[in-house]
Amino acid sequence: MEDVKGIEHFESAVHAFEQKTPAFYLNRIFFGRPARIILLLLFILAILLPIFYIAMTSLKEPIEIRTSGALLPRGQITTINWVKAFANVPLVRYLFNSTVVAVISTILVLLVAVPTTYSIIRFKTGGWFLPAWILGTYVMPPIVVSIPIFAMVKMVNLQNTLAGLILVHMMANMPIAVWLIDSYIRSIPRELEQAAWIDGYSKWETLLRVVVPLIRPGILATGVITLILSWNEFLFALILTYGVKSNTFPIGISRYIGEHGLQFGEMSAAALAGIVPIYILVFLFSRNLVEGLTRGGVKG
Amino acid sequence: MNATLEKYTPKLMVLPTFLILLIISLVPLIYVLGISFTNSTIAKPFNDFIWFENYKKAFTDEVFGTSLVNTLIFAFTVTTIQTFFGFILAFAMQRERKLSGVLRTLALLPLFTPPVAIAMIWRLIYDPNQGMLNYYLTKWGLTSGVIPFLGDKSLAFPSIMLADIWQWTPFCFLLCMAALQSLPRDPYEAAMVDGASGWYVFKRLTLPMVAPQIIVIFLFRLLIALKVFDLIYMLTFGGPGNSTQVASFYLYRVSFKQFQTGYGGALSILVLILISVLATLLTKGREAILKRVE
Repeated sequence: MEDVKGIEHFESAVHAFEQKTPAFYLNRIFFGRPARIILLLLFILAILLPIFYIAMTSLKEPIEIRTSGALLPRGQITTINWVKAFANVPLVRYLFNSTVVAVISTILVLLVAVPTTYSIIRFKTGGWFLPAWILGTYVMPPIVVSIPIFAMVKMVNLQNTLAGLILVHMMANMPIAVWLIDSYIRSIPRELEQAAWIDGYSKWETLLRVVVPLIRPGILATGVITLILSWNEFLFALILTYGVKSNTFPIGISRYIGEHGLQFGEMSAAALAGIVPIYILVFLFSRNLVEGLTRGGVKG
Repeated sequence: MNATLEKYTPKLMVLPTFLILLIISLVPLIYVLGISFTNSTIAKPFNDFIWFENYKKAFTDEVFGTSLVNTLIFAFTVTTIQTFFGFILAFAMQRERKLSGVLRTLALLPLFTPPVAIAMIWRLIYDPNQGMLNYYLTKWGLTSGVIPFLGDKSLAFPSIMLADIWQWTPFCFLLCMAALQSLPRDPYEAAMVDGASGWYVFKRLTLPMVAPQIIVIFLFRLLIALKVFDLIYMLTFGGPGNSTQVASFYLYRVSFKQFQTGYGGALSILVLILISVLATLLTKGREAILKRVE
Protein backbone atom coordinates (compact mmCIF):
# COMPACT_ATOMS: atom_id res chain seq x y z
CA MET A 1 0.00 0.00 0.00
CA GLU A 2 2.66 2.44 1.17
CA ASP A 3 4.83 1.40 -1.76
CA VAL A 4 2.28 2.20 -4.40
CA LYS A 5 1.68 5.60 -2.88
CA GLY A 6 5.44 6.15 -2.80
CA ILE A 7 5.85 5.36 -6.48
CA GLU A 8 3.06 7.75 -7.39
CA HIS A 9 4.84 10.45 -5.43
CA PHE A 10 8.13 9.74 -7.14
CA GLU A 11 6.46 9.93 -10.52
CA SER A 12 4.83 13.25 -9.77
CA ALA A 13 8.16 14.53 -8.52
CA VAL A 14 9.88 13.49 -11.72
CA HIS A 15 7.07 15.11 -13.65
CA ALA A 16 7.48 18.35 -11.73
CA PHE A 17 11.14 18.22 -12.66
CA GLU A 18 10.62 17.91 -16.37
CA GLN A 19 8.10 20.73 -16.30
CA LYS A 20 10.61 23.08 -14.64
CA THR A 21 8.04 24.09 -12.08
CA PRO A 22 8.93 26.26 -9.07
CA ALA A 23 9.83 23.03 -7.28
CA PHE A 24 12.58 22.50 -9.85
CA TYR A 25 14.13 25.88 -9.19
CA LEU A 26 13.75 25.63 -5.43
CA ASN A 27 15.50 22.31 -5.64
CA ARG A 28 18.32 23.86 -7.65
CA ILE A 29 18.75 26.72 -5.22
CA PHE A 30 18.73 24.73 -2.00
CA PHE A 31 20.37 21.53 -3.10
CA GLY A 32 22.68 22.81 -5.82
CA ARG A 33 26.42 22.72 -5.37
CA PRO A 34 27.01 26.52 -5.34
CA ALA A 35 24.51 26.96 -2.50
CA ARG A 36 26.22 24.26 -0.49
CA ILE A 37 29.68 25.69 -1.02
CA ILE A 38 28.60 29.23 -0.12
CA LEU A 39 26.91 27.98 3.04
CA LEU A 40 29.96 26.03 4.15
CA LEU A 41 32.37 28.86 3.40
CA LEU A 42 30.17 31.20 5.47
CA PHE A 43 30.33 28.66 8.28
CA ILE A 44 34.13 28.56 8.14
CA LEU A 45 34.21 32.36 8.10
CA ALA A 46 31.87 32.59 11.09
CA ILE A 47 34.03 30.20 13.10
CA LEU A 48 37.29 31.91 12.29
CA LEU A 49 36.35 35.59 12.28
CA PRO A 50 36.14 36.15 16.08
CA ILE A 51 39.39 34.26 16.66
CA PHE A 52 41.14 36.13 13.86
CA TYR A 53 39.80 39.39 15.27
CA ILE A 54 41.40 39.03 18.70
CA ALA A 55 44.60 37.78 17.12
CA MET A 56 44.70 41.00 15.08
CA THR A 57 43.71 43.11 18.08
CA SER A 58 46.56 41.66 20.10
CA LEU A 59 48.95 42.96 17.44
CA LYS A 60 47.57 46.50 17.19
CA GLU A 61 48.99 49.60 18.87
CA PRO A 62 46.99 50.33 22.06
CA ILE A 63 46.09 53.80 20.72
CA GLU A 64 44.73 52.31 17.53
CA ILE A 65 42.58 49.86 19.49
CA ARG A 66 41.05 52.69 21.48
CA THR A 67 40.12 54.67 18.40
CA SER A 68 39.05 52.08 15.86
CA GLY A 69 37.37 48.69 15.86
CA ALA A 70 38.53 47.79 12.36
CA LEU A 71 39.38 44.16 11.78
CA LEU A 72 42.86 44.64 10.32
CA PRO A 73 45.57 46.74 11.92
CA ARG A 74 46.21 49.95 9.98
CA GLY A 75 49.34 51.15 11.67
CA GLN A 76 52.46 49.35 12.75
CA ILE A 77 52.12 45.80 14.01
CA THR A 78 53.44 45.52 17.55
CA THR A 79 54.18 42.93 20.20
CA ILE A 80 53.74 45.43 23.03
CA ASN A 81 50.41 43.90 24.13
CA TRP A 82 51.97 40.48 24.50
CA VAL A 83 54.92 41.85 26.45
CA LYS A 84 52.61 43.85 28.73
CA ALA A 85 50.21 40.97 29.27
CA PHE A 86 52.99 38.73 30.51
CA ALA A 87 54.57 41.53 32.55
CA ASN A 88 51.44 42.91 34.25
CA VAL A 89 49.72 39.66 35.08
CA PRO A 90 51.32 36.44 36.42
CA LEU A 91 50.14 34.70 33.24
CA VAL A 92 52.93 32.12 33.30
CA ARG A 93 51.90 31.10 36.80
CA TYR A 94 48.23 30.82 35.79
CA LEU A 95 49.11 28.71 32.77
CA PHE A 96 51.36 26.54 34.91
CA ASN A 97 48.59 26.04 37.50
CA SER A 98 46.08 25.16 34.78
CA THR A 99 48.47 22.65 33.24
CA VAL A 100 49.13 20.92 36.55
CA VAL A 101 45.42 20.72 37.41
CA ALA A 102 44.36 19.58 33.93
CA VAL A 103 47.06 16.91 33.51
CA ILE A 104 46.82 15.34 36.97
CA SER A 105 43.02 15.43 37.15
CA THR A 106 42.83 13.85 33.68
CA ILE A 107 45.13 10.98 34.65
CA LEU A 108 43.03 10.37 37.77
CA VAL A 109 39.78 10.53 35.78
CA LEU A 110 41.01 7.90 33.35
CA LEU A 111 42.24 5.63 36.14
CA VAL A 112 38.77 5.72 37.67
CA ALA A 113 36.55 5.87 34.59
CA VAL A 114 38.02 3.06 32.46
CA PRO A 115 37.62 0.22 35.01
CA THR A 116 34.22 1.57 36.05
CA THR A 117 32.86 1.69 32.52
CA TYR A 118 34.24 -1.76 31.80
CA SER A 119 32.64 -3.19 34.91
CA ILE A 120 29.28 -1.53 34.21
CA ILE A 121 29.13 -2.82 30.65
CA ARG A 122 30.60 -6.32 31.04
CA PHE A 123 29.41 -7.32 34.49
CA LYS A 124 26.35 -5.06 34.72
CA THR A 125 27.67 -3.86 38.07
CA GLY A 126 25.19 -1.51 39.69
CA GLY A 127 22.40 -2.56 37.31
CA TRP A 128 20.47 0.30 35.76
CA PHE A 129 20.96 2.46 38.81
CA LEU A 130 24.68 3.26 38.58
CA PRO A 131 24.61 4.46 34.93
CA ALA A 132 21.50 6.54 35.68
CA TRP A 133 23.19 8.06 38.71
CA ILE A 134 26.27 8.92 36.66
CA LEU A 135 24.18 10.53 33.93
CA GLY A 136 22.07 12.42 36.49
CA THR A 137 25.23 13.80 38.08
CA TYR A 138 26.35 15.03 34.68
CA VAL A 139 23.05 16.79 34.00
CA MET A 140 22.97 18.48 37.40
CA PRO A 141 24.16 22.10 37.28
CA PRO A 142 27.41 22.25 39.28
CA ILE A 143 26.32 25.44 41.04
CA VAL A 144 23.67 23.42 42.90
CA VAL A 145 26.32 21.42 44.80
CA SER A 146 28.90 24.18 45.03
CA ILE A 147 28.12 25.19 48.62
CA PRO A 148 28.69 21.70 50.10
CA ILE A 149 31.69 21.10 47.86
CA PHE A 150 33.16 24.36 49.05
CA ALA A 151 32.47 23.27 52.65
CA MET A 152 33.99 19.81 52.12
CA VAL A 153 37.14 21.17 50.49
CA LYS A 154 37.48 23.56 53.41
CA MET A 155 36.93 20.75 55.89
CA VAL A 156 39.90 18.78 54.53
CA ASN A 157 41.91 22.00 54.41
CA LEU A 158 42.45 22.00 50.66
CA GLN A 159 40.88 25.36 49.88
CA ASN A 160 43.07 27.59 47.74
CA THR A 161 45.36 24.70 46.76
CA LEU A 162 45.91 23.01 43.44
CA ALA A 163 45.33 19.62 45.09
CA GLY A 164 41.79 20.63 46.06
CA LEU A 165 40.95 21.78 42.57
CA ILE A 166 42.53 18.65 41.05
CA LEU A 167 40.28 16.43 43.16
CA VAL A 168 37.15 18.42 42.35
CA HIS A 169 37.91 18.48 38.62
CA MET A 170 38.58 14.77 38.68
CA MET A 171 35.23 14.10 40.31
CA ALA A 172 33.34 16.59 38.17
CA ASN A 173 34.72 15.13 34.91
CA MET A 174 34.24 11.49 35.88
CA PRO A 175 30.64 11.22 34.55
CA ILE A 176 31.49 12.64 31.12
CA ALA A 177 34.53 10.34 30.89
CA VAL A 178 32.37 7.26 31.59
CA TRP A 179 29.86 8.50 29.02
CA LEU A 180 32.60 8.89 26.38
CA ILE A 181 34.40 5.58 27.00
CA ASP A 182 31.12 3.64 27.09
CA SER A 183 30.64 3.25 23.33
CA TYR A 184 34.27 2.22 22.79
CA ILE A 185 34.04 -0.62 25.29
CA ARG A 186 30.68 -1.69 23.88
CA SER A 187 32.27 -2.13 20.45
CA ILE A 188 34.74 -4.80 21.66
CA PRO A 189 33.57 -8.29 20.76
CA ARG A 190 32.80 -10.32 23.86
CA GLU A 191 34.57 -13.37 22.43
CA LEU A 192 37.95 -11.69 22.72
CA GLU A 193 37.54 -11.27 26.44
CA GLN A 194 36.14 -14.74 26.90
CA ALA A 195 39.18 -16.16 25.13
CA ALA A 196 41.36 -14.22 27.57
CA TRP A 197 39.46 -15.65 30.54
CA ILE A 198 39.88 -19.16 29.20
CA ASP A 199 43.61 -18.48 28.90
CA GLY A 200 43.56 -17.86 32.63
CA TYR A 201 43.60 -14.05 32.62
CA SER A 202 41.99 -12.47 35.64
CA LYS A 203 39.42 -9.73 35.09
CA TRP A 204 41.99 -7.03 35.80
CA GLU A 205 44.47 -8.63 33.39
CA THR A 206 41.80 -8.86 30.73
CA LEU A 207 41.00 -5.20 31.18
CA LEU A 208 44.62 -4.10 31.05
CA ARG A 209 45.98 -6.44 28.37
CA VAL A 210 43.01 -6.95 26.07
CA VAL A 211 40.49 -4.13 26.52
CA VAL A 212 42.72 -1.13 27.12
CA PRO A 213 44.93 -1.68 24.04
CA LEU A 214 41.79 -2.05 21.90
CA ILE A 215 40.16 1.15 23.11
CA ARG A 216 43.29 3.26 23.02
CA PRO A 217 41.74 5.79 20.59
CA GLY A 218 38.81 6.16 22.98
CA ILE A 219 41.04 6.67 25.99
CA LEU A 220 43.04 9.22 24.06
CA ALA A 221 39.92 11.12 22.97
CA THR A 222 38.46 11.03 26.48
CA GLY A 223 41.75 12.12 27.98
CA VAL A 224 42.12 15.09 25.65
CA ILE A 225 38.49 16.12 26.17
CA THR A 226 38.68 16.00 29.99
CA LEU A 227 42.04 17.76 29.84
CA ILE A 228 40.47 20.62 27.89
CA LEU A 229 37.34 20.69 30.09
CA SER A 230 39.53 21.01 33.17
CA TRP A 231 41.66 23.70 31.53
CA ASN A 232 38.51 25.68 30.65
CA GLU A 233 36.57 25.05 33.88
CA PHE A 234 35.41 28.24 35.53
CA LEU A 235 32.92 27.83 38.39
CA PHE A 236 34.81 25.52 40.77
CA ALA A 237 38.09 27.30 40.09
CA LEU A 238 36.29 30.55 40.91
CA ILE A 239 35.00 29.48 44.32
CA LEU A 240 37.91 27.24 45.38
CA THR A 241 40.95 29.36 44.50
CA TYR A 242 41.60 32.94 45.42
CA GLY A 243 45.20 33.86 44.89
CA VAL A 244 48.02 33.78 42.36
CA LYS A 245 49.30 30.61 44.03
CA SER A 246 46.33 28.54 42.89
CA ASN A 247 44.36 30.60 40.36
CA THR A 248 44.00 28.86 37.04
CA PHE A 249 44.11 30.58 33.69
CA PRO A 250 40.35 31.30 33.36
CA ILE A 251 40.13 32.87 36.83
CA GLY A 252 43.41 34.72 36.36
CA ILE A 253 42.34 36.43 33.18
CA SER A 254 38.77 37.06 34.36
CA ARG A 255 40.31 39.10 37.21
CA TYR A 256 42.13 40.95 34.47
CA ILE A 257 38.99 42.76 33.43
CA GLY A 258 38.42 44.16 36.89
CA GLU A 259 41.98 45.05 37.81
CA HIS A 260 43.17 46.76 34.69
CA GLY A 261 40.07 48.29 33.23
CA LEU A 262 39.41 47.25 29.68
CA GLN A 263 42.84 47.06 28.07
CA PHE A 264 41.66 45.13 25.05
CA GLY A 265 45.10 44.69 23.52
CA GLU A 266 46.57 43.03 26.60
CA MET A 267 43.34 41.16 27.19
CA SER A 268 43.44 39.68 23.69
CA ALA A 269 47.05 38.63 24.10
CA ALA A 270 46.31 37.05 27.49
CA ALA A 271 43.25 35.23 26.15
CA LEU A 272 45.26 33.91 23.19
CA ALA A 273 47.98 32.66 25.52
CA GLY A 274 45.39 30.30 26.99
CA ILE A 275 43.72 29.48 23.68
CA VAL A 276 46.82 28.48 21.71
CA PRO A 277 47.76 25.38 23.78
CA ILE A 278 44.17 24.10 23.40
CA TYR A 279 44.14 24.70 19.66
CA ILE A 280 47.42 22.81 19.29
CA LEU A 281 45.83 19.84 21.07
CA VAL A 282 42.75 20.11 18.85
CA PHE A 283 44.80 20.12 15.66
CA LEU A 284 46.96 17.21 16.84
CA PHE A 285 44.02 15.02 17.84
CA SER A 286 41.16 16.36 15.71
CA ARG A 287 40.26 13.00 14.17
CA ASN A 288 40.16 11.32 17.55
CA LEU A 289 38.20 14.11 19.15
CA VAL A 290 35.48 14.15 16.50
CA GLU A 291 35.17 10.39 16.77
CA GLY A 292 34.98 10.50 20.56
CA LEU A 293 32.44 13.31 20.71
CA THR A 294 30.10 12.01 18.04
CA ARG A 295 30.10 8.44 19.34
CA GLY A 296 28.99 9.59 22.75
CA GLY A 297 26.57 12.21 21.56
CA VAL A 298 24.10 10.43 19.33
CA LYS A 299 23.55 7.10 20.98
CA GLY A 300 19.91 6.77 21.96
CA MET B 1 41.76 -16.11 48.28
CA ASN B 2 42.35 -15.42 44.60
CA ALA B 3 38.93 -16.76 43.68
CA THR B 4 37.18 -14.47 46.15
CA LEU B 5 39.18 -11.52 44.93
CA GLU B 6 38.24 -12.35 41.38
CA LYS B 7 34.59 -12.59 42.35
CA TYR B 8 34.60 -9.10 43.81
CA THR B 9 36.69 -7.54 41.04
CA PRO B 10 33.70 -5.97 39.21
CA LYS B 11 32.57 -4.31 42.44
CA LEU B 12 36.12 -3.19 43.15
CA MET B 13 36.29 -1.60 39.70
CA VAL B 14 33.31 0.66 40.37
CA LEU B 15 34.20 1.40 43.99
CA PRO B 16 36.10 4.67 43.32
CA THR B 17 33.28 5.88 41.10
CA PHE B 18 30.74 4.99 43.75
CA LEU B 19 32.69 6.99 46.33
CA ILE B 20 33.03 9.93 43.93
CA LEU B 21 29.30 9.93 43.29
CA LEU B 22 28.70 9.96 47.03
CA ILE B 23 31.07 12.88 47.51
CA ILE B 24 29.98 14.90 44.51
CA SER B 25 26.25 14.28 44.38
CA LEU B 26 24.57 12.37 47.23
CA VAL B 27 26.29 13.98 50.23
CA PRO B 28 26.07 17.48 48.71
CA LEU B 29 22.37 17.02 47.95
CA ILE B 30 21.64 15.94 51.52
CA TYR B 31 23.72 18.87 52.76
CA VAL B 32 21.88 21.31 50.52
CA LEU B 33 18.50 19.90 51.52
CA GLY B 34 19.45 20.21 55.19
CA ILE B 35 20.81 23.71 54.88
CA SER B 36 17.73 24.85 52.94
CA PHE B 37 15.67 24.62 56.16
CA THR B 38 18.04 26.88 58.03
CA ASN B 39 18.98 30.51 58.11
CA SER B 40 22.62 29.76 57.29
CA THR B 41 25.29 32.06 55.98
CA ILE B 42 28.64 31.04 54.53
CA ALA B 43 30.35 31.71 57.88
CA LYS B 44 27.65 30.00 60.01
CA PRO B 45 26.43 26.84 58.33
CA PHE B 46 23.37 25.11 59.83
CA ASN B 47 22.44 28.14 61.82
CA ASP B 48 18.93 28.49 63.18
CA PHE B 49 16.35 26.01 61.93
CA ILE B 50 13.50 27.84 60.20
CA TRP B 51 11.59 25.09 58.37
CA PHE B 52 10.08 26.22 55.08
CA GLU B 53 10.70 29.96 55.42
CA ASN B 54 13.34 29.91 52.65
CA TYR B 55 10.97 28.12 50.30
CA LYS B 56 8.18 30.58 51.06
CA LYS B 57 10.59 33.40 50.34
CA ALA B 58 11.56 31.78 47.04
CA PHE B 59 7.99 31.79 45.78
CA THR B 60 7.70 35.53 46.28
CA ASP B 61 11.21 36.25 44.96
CA GLU B 62 10.66 37.97 41.64
CA VAL B 63 14.30 37.85 40.59
CA PHE B 64 14.30 34.08 41.08
CA GLY B 65 11.20 33.81 38.89
CA THR B 66 12.83 35.97 36.23
CA SER B 67 15.98 33.86 36.36
CA LEU B 68 14.02 30.64 35.83
CA VAL B 69 12.07 32.07 32.88
CA ASN B 70 15.28 33.46 31.39
CA THR B 71 17.05 30.10 31.74
CA LEU B 72 14.26 28.35 29.86
CA ILE B 73 14.12 31.04 27.17
CA PHE B 74 17.88 30.89 26.78
CA ALA B 75 18.13 27.10 26.65
CA PHE B 76 15.26 26.57 24.22
CA THR B 77 16.26 29.44 21.92
CA VAL B 78 19.93 28.60 21.56
CA THR B 79 19.32 24.86 21.34
CA THR B 80 16.71 25.27 18.60
CA ILE B 81 18.91 27.59 16.56
CA GLN B 82 22.04 25.47 17.06
CA THR B 83 20.35 22.20 16.16
CA PHE B 84 18.65 23.79 13.15
CA PHE B 85 21.80 25.34 11.69
CA GLY B 86 23.91 22.38 12.74
CA PHE B 87 21.64 20.11 10.78
CA ILE B 88 21.45 22.32 7.67
CA LEU B 89 25.23 22.63 7.60
CA ALA B 90 25.79 18.93 8.19
CA PHE B 91 23.34 18.19 5.40
CA ALA B 92 25.08 20.58 3.03
CA MET B 93 28.41 18.97 3.80
CA GLN B 94 27.42 15.45 2.99
CA ARG B 95 28.69 15.61 -0.57
CA GLU B 96 31.61 18.00 -0.07
CA ARG B 97 34.53 15.73 0.72
CA LYS B 98 37.29 18.31 0.54
CA LEU B 99 35.64 20.83 2.81
CA SER B 100 34.50 18.22 5.27
CA GLY B 101 38.03 17.36 6.40
CA VAL B 102 38.81 21.00 7.13
CA LEU B 103 35.46 21.70 8.75
CA ARG B 104 35.63 18.77 11.12
CA THR B 105 38.76 20.22 12.69
CA LEU B 106 37.59 23.84 12.60
CA ALA B 107 34.27 22.89 14.19
CA LEU B 108 36.15 21.75 17.29
CA LEU B 109 37.70 25.17 17.86
CA PRO B 110 34.71 27.17 19.23
CA LEU B 111 33.59 24.21 21.35
CA PHE B 112 36.94 23.89 23.08
CA THR B 113 37.83 27.57 23.35
CA PRO B 114 37.95 28.49 27.05
CA PRO B 115 34.61 30.20 27.86
CA VAL B 116 36.50 33.00 29.57
CA ALA B 117 38.30 33.69 26.29
CA ILE B 118 35.04 33.48 24.35
CA ALA B 119 33.58 36.05 26.72
CA MET B 120 36.55 38.34 26.14
CA ILE B 121 36.31 37.97 22.38
CA TRP B 122 32.63 38.91 22.36
CA ARG B 123 33.09 41.68 24.86
CA LEU B 124 35.55 43.19 22.45
CA ILE B 125 33.30 42.63 19.45
CA TYR B 126 30.34 44.28 21.20
CA ASP B 127 32.30 47.13 22.78
CA PRO B 128 30.63 50.48 21.95
CA ASN B 129 33.83 52.37 21.13
CA GLN B 130 36.53 49.83 20.36
CA GLY B 131 34.54 46.89 19.05
CA MET B 132 34.26 45.60 15.51
CA LEU B 133 30.47 45.32 15.38
CA ASN B 134 29.73 48.97 16.12
CA TYR B 135 32.63 50.06 13.96
CA TYR B 136 31.30 48.36 10.83
CA LEU B 137 27.64 49.10 11.57
CA THR B 138 28.46 52.79 11.73
CA LYS B 139 30.93 52.72 8.86
CA TRP B 140 28.49 51.07 6.50
CA GLY B 141 25.76 53.43 7.64
CA LEU B 142 23.53 50.71 9.06
CA THR B 143 23.09 52.48 12.39
CA SER B 144 23.20 56.18 13.21
CA GLY B 145 24.67 55.93 16.69
CA VAL B 146 26.67 53.53 18.79
CA ILE B 147 24.76 50.54 20.16
CA PRO B 148 25.73 49.31 23.66
CA PHE B 149 24.91 45.67 22.92
CA LEU B 150 25.70 44.33 26.39
CA GLY B 151 24.47 47.40 28.23
CA ASP B 152 21.01 47.52 26.69
CA LYS B 153 18.19 45.73 28.51
CA SER B 154 16.61 44.24 25.41
CA LEU B 155 19.84 43.54 23.48
CA ALA B 156 22.04 42.05 26.20
CA PHE B 157 20.38 38.64 26.28
CA PRO B 158 20.30 38.12 22.49
CA SER B 159 23.94 39.24 22.39
CA ILE B 160 24.93 36.55 24.89
CA MET B 161 22.88 34.03 22.93
CA LEU B 162 24.83 34.90 19.79
CA ALA B 163 28.11 34.16 21.58
CA ASP B 164 26.67 30.85 22.77
CA ILE B 165 25.45 30.06 19.25
CA TRP B 166 28.96 30.68 17.96
CA GLN B 167 30.36 28.31 20.56
CA TRP B 168 27.88 25.43 20.25
CA THR B 169 26.54 25.34 16.67
CA PRO B 170 29.68 23.51 15.51
CA PHE B 171 29.09 20.88 18.19
CA CYS B 172 25.53 20.27 16.96
CA PHE B 173 26.91 20.26 13.43
CA LEU B 174 29.37 17.46 14.28
CA LEU B 175 26.68 15.38 15.96
CA CYS B 176 24.22 15.90 13.09
CA MET B 177 26.94 14.92 10.64
CA ALA B 178 27.51 11.67 12.51
CA ALA B 179 23.76 11.06 12.55
CA LEU B 180 23.48 11.58 8.79
CA GLN B 181 26.46 9.33 8.12
CA SER B 182 24.89 6.54 10.13
CA LEU B 183 21.85 6.34 7.81
CA PRO B 184 21.50 3.19 5.67
CA ARG B 185 22.38 3.61 1.98
CA ASP B 186 19.88 1.26 0.35
CA PRO B 187 16.79 3.49 0.44
CA TYR B 188 18.76 6.22 -1.30
CA GLU B 189 19.86 3.93 -4.10
CA ALA B 190 16.25 2.90 -4.61
CA ALA B 191 15.19 6.54 -4.74
CA MET B 192 17.95 7.32 -7.24
CA VAL B 193 16.76 4.55 -9.51
CA ASP B 194 13.28 6.00 -9.31
CA GLY B 195 14.67 9.42 -10.17
CA ALA B 196 13.21 11.19 -7.13
CA SER B 197 14.05 14.86 -6.63
CA GLY B 198 16.39 16.12 -3.92
CA TRP B 199 13.67 17.76 -1.90
CA TYR B 200 11.47 14.72 -2.13
CA VAL B 201 14.22 12.38 -0.99
CA PHE B 202 15.03 14.75 1.84
CA LYS B 203 11.45 15.01 3.03
CA ARG B 204 10.49 11.37 2.63
CA LEU B 205 13.73 9.56 3.43
CA THR B 206 16.34 11.61 5.23
CA LEU B 207 14.13 13.51 7.63
CA PRO B 208 12.10 10.59 9.03
CA MET B 209 15.18 8.39 9.34
CA VAL B 210 17.33 10.98 11.04
CA ALA B 211 14.65 12.57 13.24
CA PRO B 212 15.07 10.30 16.29
CA GLN B 213 18.79 11.07 16.46
CA ILE B 214 18.22 14.80 15.95
CA ILE B 215 15.83 14.77 18.91
CA VAL B 216 18.51 13.12 21.05
CA ILE B 217 21.01 15.79 19.98
CA PHE B 218 18.48 18.50 20.82
CA LEU B 219 17.82 17.09 24.30
CA PHE B 220 21.51 16.52 24.99
CA ARG B 221 22.36 20.08 24.09
CA LEU B 222 19.33 21.47 25.93
CA LEU B 223 20.37 19.82 29.19
CA ILE B 224 23.83 21.39 28.89
CA ALA B 225 22.35 24.79 27.95
CA LEU B 226 20.27 24.85 31.15
CA LYS B 227 23.53 25.01 33.11
CA VAL B 228 24.65 28.28 31.48
CA PHE B 229 26.86 30.29 33.83
CA ASP B 230 30.27 31.31 32.47
CA LEU B 231 29.15 33.62 29.67
CA ILE B 232 26.65 35.39 31.94
CA TYR B 233 29.24 35.82 34.67
CA MET B 234 31.78 37.36 32.35
CA LEU B 235 29.67 39.27 29.85
CA THR B 236 26.91 40.92 31.90
CA PHE B 237 26.96 39.64 35.50
CA GLY B 238 23.20 39.15 35.20
CA GLY B 239 22.56 42.76 34.19
CA PRO B 240 21.57 45.28 33.05
CA GLY B 241 18.86 45.20 35.68
CA ASN B 242 18.10 41.50 35.84
CA SER B 243 17.61 41.16 32.10
CA THR B 244 20.22 38.39 31.74
CA GLN B 245 19.70 36.79 35.14
CA VAL B 246 19.70 32.98 34.84
CA ALA B 247 19.22 30.27 37.47
CA SER B 248 22.86 29.21 37.84
CA PHE B 249 24.05 32.76 38.12
CA TYR B 250 21.36 33.77 40.61
CA LEU B 251 22.24 30.78 42.80
CA TYR B 252 25.87 31.87 42.68
CA ARG B 253 24.93 35.44 43.61
CA VAL B 254 22.77 34.42 46.57
CA SER B 255 25.27 31.90 47.96
CA PHE B 256 28.65 33.41 47.20
CA LYS B 257 28.01 37.14 46.89
CA GLN B 258 25.22 37.66 49.44
CA PHE B 259 26.47 34.68 51.51
CA GLN B 260 22.91 33.46 52.18
CA THR B 261 23.73 29.80 51.81
CA GLY B 262 20.50 28.68 53.49
CA TYR B 263 18.35 30.52 51.01
CA GLY B 264 20.71 29.50 48.19
CA GLY B 265 20.20 25.88 49.26
CA ALA B 266 16.42 26.20 49.00
CA LEU B 267 16.73 27.75 45.54
CA SER B 268 19.12 24.93 44.51
CA ILE B 269 16.58 22.30 45.51
CA LEU B 270 13.85 24.08 43.55
CA VAL B 271 16.06 24.35 40.46
CA LEU B 272 16.93 20.66 40.70
CA ILE B 273 13.27 19.67 40.95
CA LEU B 274 12.47 21.83 37.95
CA ILE B 275 15.27 20.33 35.83
CA SER B 276 14.28 16.77 36.81
CA VAL B 277 10.65 17.41 35.89
CA LEU B 278 11.70 19.00 32.61
CA ALA B 279 14.08 16.14 31.76
CA THR B 280 11.36 13.56 32.49
CA LEU B 281 8.77 15.42 30.40
CA LEU B 282 11.19 15.76 27.51
CA THR B 283 12.15 12.09 27.50
CA LYS B 284 8.47 11.15 27.61
CA GLY B 285 7.82 13.60 24.79
CA ARG B 286 10.61 12.05 22.78
CA GLU B 287 9.14 8.59 23.19
CA ALA B 288 5.73 9.89 22.07
CA ILE B 289 7.25 11.46 18.96
CA LEU B 290 9.17 8.29 18.12
CA LYS B 291 6.00 6.22 18.32
CA ARG B 292 4.26 8.61 15.96
CA VAL B 293 7.11 8.44 13.44
CA GLU B 294 6.91 4.65 13.43
